[in-house]
Amino acid sequence: MGETLRARERPWSLGVVMARRATRDGAVRTLVFAVVFGLYAWLQAFGYRGAYPSLADRLAFAGAFAHNDALRLFYGYPYDVVTVGGYCAWRVGGTLSIAAAVFGVMSAVRALRAEEDAGRAELVLAGAVRRSHYFLAAVLSVLLGALALGAGELGGYLAGGLALGPSMYAALATALVVPVFAGLGALASQLAPTRRGALALSLGGVGTFWLARMVADTWAPAAWLRTITPLGWAESMRPFAGSRADFALPSLALSGLTLLGAGVVARTRDVGVGLAAPRDRARSHRGWLGGPTRQYVLVARGSLAAWATGFGVFAFVLGMVSTSISSAGVSPELRRQLQSLGLGSVFTPGGYLAFVFVVFIVALTYFVSAQMAAARQEEADQALETLLAQPVDRRRWLLGRQLVAALGSLGLAGEVGLLAWLGAATRGANVSLGQMLEAGANTLPTAILFLGLASLLYALVPRASSAVSYALASVAFLWYVVGSLLHVPRWLVDATPYVHVGYVPAEAFRPVPAFVMLGAGLLTGVAATLCLARRDLLSA
Amino acid sequence: MSTPDADAPIATTGLTKRYGATVALDSLDLSVRAGEVYGYLGPNGAGKTTTIRLLLGLHRASAGQARLFGLDAFADALSAHRRVAYVAGEPYLWPSLSAEDTLRYLGRLHGSIDVAYRDQLVRRFELDVAKKVRSLSKGNRQKVQLVAALATRADLLLLDEPTAGLDPLMEMEFRACVQEARERGQTVFLSSHILSEVEALCDRVGILRRGRLVEEGTLAEMRHLAAVSVEVTFAGPAPMIPALAGVTASSVGPNAARFEVHGPVGPLIAALGGHEIVSLTSREPSLEEIFLNQYDDETRRRDG
Ligand SMILES: Nc1ncnc2c1ncn2[C@@H]1O[C@H](COP(=O)(O)OP(=O)(O)OP(=O)(O)O)[C@@H](O)[C@H]1O
Ligand SMILES: [Mg+2]
Repeated sequence: MGETLRARERPWSLGVVMARRATRDGAVRTLVFAVVFGLYAWLQAFGYRGAYPSLADRLAFAGAFAHNDALRLFYGYPYDVVTVGGYCAWRVGGTLSIAAAVFGVMSAVRALRAEEDAGRAELVLAGAVRRSHYFLAAVLSVLLGALALGAGELGGYLAGGLALGPSMYAALATALVVPVFAGLGALASQLAPTRRGALALSLGGVGTFWLARMVADTWAPAAWLRTITPLGWAESMRPFAGSRADFALPSLALSGLTLLGAGVVARTRDVGVGLAAPRDRARSHRGWLGGPTRQYVLVARGSLAAWATGFGVFAFVLGMVSTSISSAGVSPELRRQLQSLGLGSVFTPGGYLAFVFVVFIVALTYFVSAQMAAARQEEADQALETLLAQPVDRRRWLLGRQLVAALGSLGLAGEVGLLAWLGAATRGANVSLGQMLEAGANTLPTAILFLGLASLLYALVPRASSAVSYALASVAFLWYVVGSLLHVPRWLVDATPYVHVGYVPAEAFRPVPAFVMLGAGLLTGVAATLCLARRDLLSA
Repeated sequence: MSTPDADAPIATTGLTKRYGATVALDSLDLSVRAGEVYGYLGPNGAGKTTTIRLLLGLHRASAGQARLFGLDAFADALSAHRRVAYVAGEPYLWPSLSAEDTLRYLGRLHGSIDVAYRDQLVRRFELDVAKKVRSLSKGNRQKVQLVAALATRADLLLLDEPTAGLDPLMEMEFRACVQEARERGQTVFLSSHILSEVEALCDRVGILRRGRLVEEGTLAEMRHLAAVSVEVTFAGPAPMIPALAGVTASSVGPNAARFEVHGPVGPLIAALGGHEIVSLTSREPSLEEIFLNQYDDETRRRDG
């Protein structure tokens, strides 16, 4: 007989093979995150140095702006903003730790649950593989991802001219967020009935911890909350601003505990089934089966409700903190500089809300991307084949999906206007419902534009479309954040739609760009249906 | 030769599909008549599923034409689909929908279904319709597709390996359903790897290899294609039989010979007439042998 394979491979080498497989599966996403981390860190360091060259500028900035409660929602608590490093720790660390949390959750669920739901884990575990080694290999791949993110951030700081030691510490503070949330994702992967359930559960966890940090950072009596949220620990490590390495301990301890717990469950749990078994029976939903669009709403009702909840909570909290803005002591010079940072008149509740509503535009571009990604998923799962073998027109099918995305955006835009107003009203802020609804409506044209683009991408390059749509939405926003800090030609700065959106209600609604965006969205959307009508359906 | 019926349930001419460098379907001319059960056979990767996807307008032909009931399979897909029901090769449906809602949904999309027949099918296939598709076994998911397709009573059933995963009892039930469809005058296009199923159900069979239709005909015609094997044992040493058209002889022992006969056996019997024969057996090839012969490259090369 021929050669035998290396019959008794050492468990370790098998583990390495599995870890390599898991790492390669998520490599593209990890790379994209790492590059974005690097670019963001570099651009903030670079931009701050350019915008506030002297200590006096920075002190003025610190006094009037950094200690503004409302901005802490996004960036966290500023410990020191008069040095480039301190500013970066605030602006970069605060934002990137949220991104790191999302990354940790997504990669853990991918490595620990998606493989099972796809049936691939069964194949691997049918081999001479120990469960614990399989689990460890998955965890190892996530930790390698954390390392990559940290390296990206470090590279950015170094390129931005910051010192090696403190930069490494700052990158570590962010990277430590990954295993904590990977632990959360790993636990959710053991509990939830499905991959989607695990993802929703743990993303809900990210949202809750973020909310806790927001409240802690903006409302002095609740500052203690910072000590119980992992995002607060990252902040409390105070990179570039009087390092407190002891705050790494709770992160390490919690990661260890959650991962250990998940590992223990994973050793005995049925592969592909969560501890909380899914309901295997469903009530009938007659009314929702009349056509593909209604059926989609039925199937996606859980995720649509989650979007609505997230938007609503966020809008309400933003409304509440909008009253803590004060313009006392802000010089006209500083105002001008803030303008150059893209942070114009933010010192009134209305002005502040007008500014932060940009966040809802970003979220809506992700929402429409997610809707098109769901359309693609139906095709990849081949359910679309069964559907289109019926007398169902492809163009109408896509149009239905676009309609859900557009009406969903409309609903979310109205919701954030209403709830932001309500939040502000509870604190007696002087903004009207009409103003806030207008601010909500102002987020729509950009969303429609991205809906058109995402559908066109879906029709033209189905397999890459989801990733490219999310990337496009992210790049458009990041370019808006940093484009104006850099000395590049005007038209290049203007290439992102965000530049053309007015800060409503602080500024007037800008009808021309809005209609251009709406028109472009409609055109690309129609083009998408026509392109889809001409191509082969492609499974995963 | 008569031109195929303009409104034939299935008619393709020069139908070709390329995926990049792969030629999945190579100039296929296929015609399925109304009311017939057509078996579509071929090794893995031969292009059976591709054919069905082209017929449904799910993929676009690289060249040639496909028509269902005289309607262009791609351009007029919508009208064509009103008369068609489809069972996909893999039972991918909507995991969170119950089987009942899936049946209802597919029924509404199709427009018209025979509700009484659907309920009867649910009973016959022993389907638990309250369960979510996610929690059904593979065979049960397949049954959901089958029930949905059969309940439409569509003029044309396009079935891509419809019984993959069904247990033998359900396989029998499926055969009964196809017979019922035939009796109602429905046309059935059945792609399958189960030869006994094809033998039991199909009026006509086509064999696809590497995207080309290599054989087509009724089962009787198929049998004629293959050689009948005649084994003769003589009282003494086997004599020399003069060469006959369509007959190849080989020795199987000192007193015995085997003759592979293509076409009528009469001339061979006549030639054997003057010799004393101890025993004579003749054996028709099984369908399985015929099909395997067509599938297997090696045998074809040796025989060819
Ligand atoms: N979307 C696609 N992209 C590229 N190649 C494809 C695609 N679909 C099918 N093929 C190729 O076309 C050929 C025919 O595939 P098809 O699925 O039609 O075979 P089949 O006869 O149905 O096989 P099986 O019996 O295994 O189901 C194969 O070589 C396959 O690899
Ligand atoms: Mg096939």
